[in-house]
Amino acid sequence: MITTIAWRNIWRNKTRSIVIMTSVALGLWAGAFIAALYWGMGQERMRIAIENEIAHLQVHAPDFTLEFTNIPAIANVNELTAQITAMQGVKAVSARTIAMGMLATATGSAGIQINGIEPNAEAATSQLKSKLKEGTYFETKKTNTVLVGAKLAKKLKLKLNSKVVLTFQDKEDNLVSAAFRVEGIYQSYNTALDERNVYVPITTLNNLLGLQHEAHEVAVLLQSDDLTPSVKAALAAQNPALKVQDWKEISPETGLILSTMGQASMVFVVIILLALAFGIINTMLMAVLERTREIGVLMALGMNKLKLFAMILTETFMLVMVGCPFGLLLAWAVIQLLARKGIDLTAIAGQTMQDFGFSNVIYPGLPASQYLQIVILVVITAVVSAFFPAIRALRLRPVEAIRG
Amino acid sequence: MDTVIDAHNISKVYNPDTIPVHAVNNVHLHVERGEFTALVGPSGSGKTTLLNILGGLDHPTSGNVVINGTDITHLGSNKLIDFRLHNIGFVFQSFNLIPVLTARENVEFIMLLQNVPKKERDQRVVALLNEVGLSDKMDVRPAQLSGGQQQRVAVARALASKPQFILADEPTANLDSASAFNLLDIMAKLNREENMTFIFSTHDQRVIERARRVITLVDGSIASDTAQTKTD
Ligand SMILES: Nc1ncnc2c1ncn2[C@@H]1O[C@H](COP(=O)(O)OP(=O)(O)OP(=O)(O)O)[C@@H](O)[C@H]1O
Ligand SMILES: [Mg+2]
Repeated sequence: MITTIAWRNIWRNKTRSIVIMTSVALGLWAGAFIAALYWGMGQERMRIAIENEIAHLQVHAPDFTLEFTNIPAIANVNELTAQITAMQGVKAVSARTIAMGMLATATGSAGIQINGIEPNAEAATSQLKSKLKEGTYFETKKTNTVLVGAKLAKKLKLKLNSKVVLTFQDKEDNLVSAAFRVEGIYQSYNTALDERNVYVPITTLNNLLGLQHEAHEVAVLLQSDDLTPSVKAALAAQNPALKVQDWKEISPETGLILSTMGQASMVFVVIILLALAFGIINTMLMAVLERTREIGVLMALGMNKLKLFAMILTETFMLVMVGCPFGLLLAWAVIQLLARKGIDLTAIAGQTMQDFGFSNVIYPGLPASQYLQIVILVVITAVVSAFFPAIRALRLRPVEAIRG
Repeated sequence: MDTVIDAHNISKVYNPDTIPVHAVNNVHLHVERGEFTALVGPSGSGKTTLLNILGGLDHPTSGNVVINGTDITHLGSNKLIDFRLHNIGFVFQSFNLIPVLTARENVEFIMLLQNVPKKERDQRVVALLNEVGLSDKMDVRPAQLSGGQQQRVAVARALASKPQFILADEPTANLDSASAFNLLDIMAKLNREENMTFIFSTHDQRVIERARRVITLVDGSIASDTAQTKTD
């Protein structure tokens, strides 16, 4: 009967109740949508980090660091790549040689990281070939060709076939300079990386560095993200002398971005819910005050405080919960639609997104656990906002309420 | 005889700290089961205040109220609510039915609070609404009932909890005279046939005539307390 009374009370002031229900639905929709947008961006960043930059796993020499001029290398790298390629769940493997140095033209220069790569392996691992904007992908017979990023090309006014000089230190710490032709210009989702990285054939770079059958880094792309821990463990067990790290260890900032995105979206949801809470409290306080006499009568007749409290609480709860499924459904529908179409931010954001390593098109999405999280927050909001009106009702004294 | 109310030397002072209003002064009152008693007196003489104290809705400033052997004067508010639920029936001047509930539900609600089993509730609701002549209006909400009909539902509701007595503060004040007489007839019948005790306040001389005992309050004190034989 308490629920009956509560439910019918909601419909006494239809307009007011519908306004609240609509606000709850819209608030929920907006909250879920923002969360989905952030989640989509986070996922996009993660995909880019894995599929275009880091891959799932990387193998290095135990004391590997880019700080040294003489970067510690992995010996017998061909055996290692063959071994990894044969492992279950591995999609692509790319061995890389790295040298920190300078790229100079007749008019300018820039500090860069030179990556020696085996073209086919790298194309399969970090999609380097598909990032090509101009030129060709290591197709000429020449050995000294280089791929430069679009950002760097613009900065140093490089064109296809421009001559550049790469300078770095070899294995014996001798300064080495070599002339290269720009064979291609690439552009990824991460302008900062584009500006810093150039790619040359691994054989060319190894010759210049004086390395044989060696590489500094082996990147491993897996069939799926879920395999990361198991393949990592297997790889580490088979190669105790090497350091095996997953993408989160290589790029802690990517993991941080993911969790920050989650928190940021929850902040929005909480702000929306706070605004809702004020509306709910206000409405229910009004409802309680309008019904002073009625509540007084209930108390006079013998409805105890607990039941009265439960009644107001139920009423508020119902009021909020009616709007909830509509909001969720709306959010779900919109998110599903946009997850397929994507939201193209080029018009609004221009290059900004790519400057920070994001794609220009966001595909919003929200895992079930996040929907649940939002629903739980709404329930908490409903209960908390129900408290004030309910307490107000308890403070009524029946004699005064009836006397009016 | 069976005493239902024993009020001993009760006084009520409103605003004791500012401008004190002595609404009830040293009232002694003894009510036996089966009484049909009218509380009369000029406006402001303390009828409502006294009824509220007897019904456990308000605390007296001094004195004691013993109902059916229980001293309710110092009961805490939740205990008092529970006591009212099981011992006292109320009928108010402005009917005060729960507007979102039908006549049937308004009556049933009290028994629900008392945890009466469903079957018994259903039977009793029908019997009670029959008794007040509303068997054809059971599933109608208060807004669709006339004042007289609403007040009859209120009487059925007051009876539903099987109280020791029913307090009615000016139950006929908002009714036309036909409805008022009809209500009085029903109350008198319940009093006669079920020995239900009624105490009602009123200004209406024709209502006063129906009472068997008339207590007159003047300035919060009992000015007269007379038994009268019925004229009908
Ligand atoms: N809450 C209150 N605060 C202060 N004074 C009050 C309060 N309630 C009643 N009074 C005063 O107490 C006195 C008795 O009031 P009460 O309502 O009991 O009279 P009554 O006999 O029921 O009057 P009526 O016939 O008009 O209903 C009056 O002087 C009234 O003004
Ligand atoms: Mg009065």
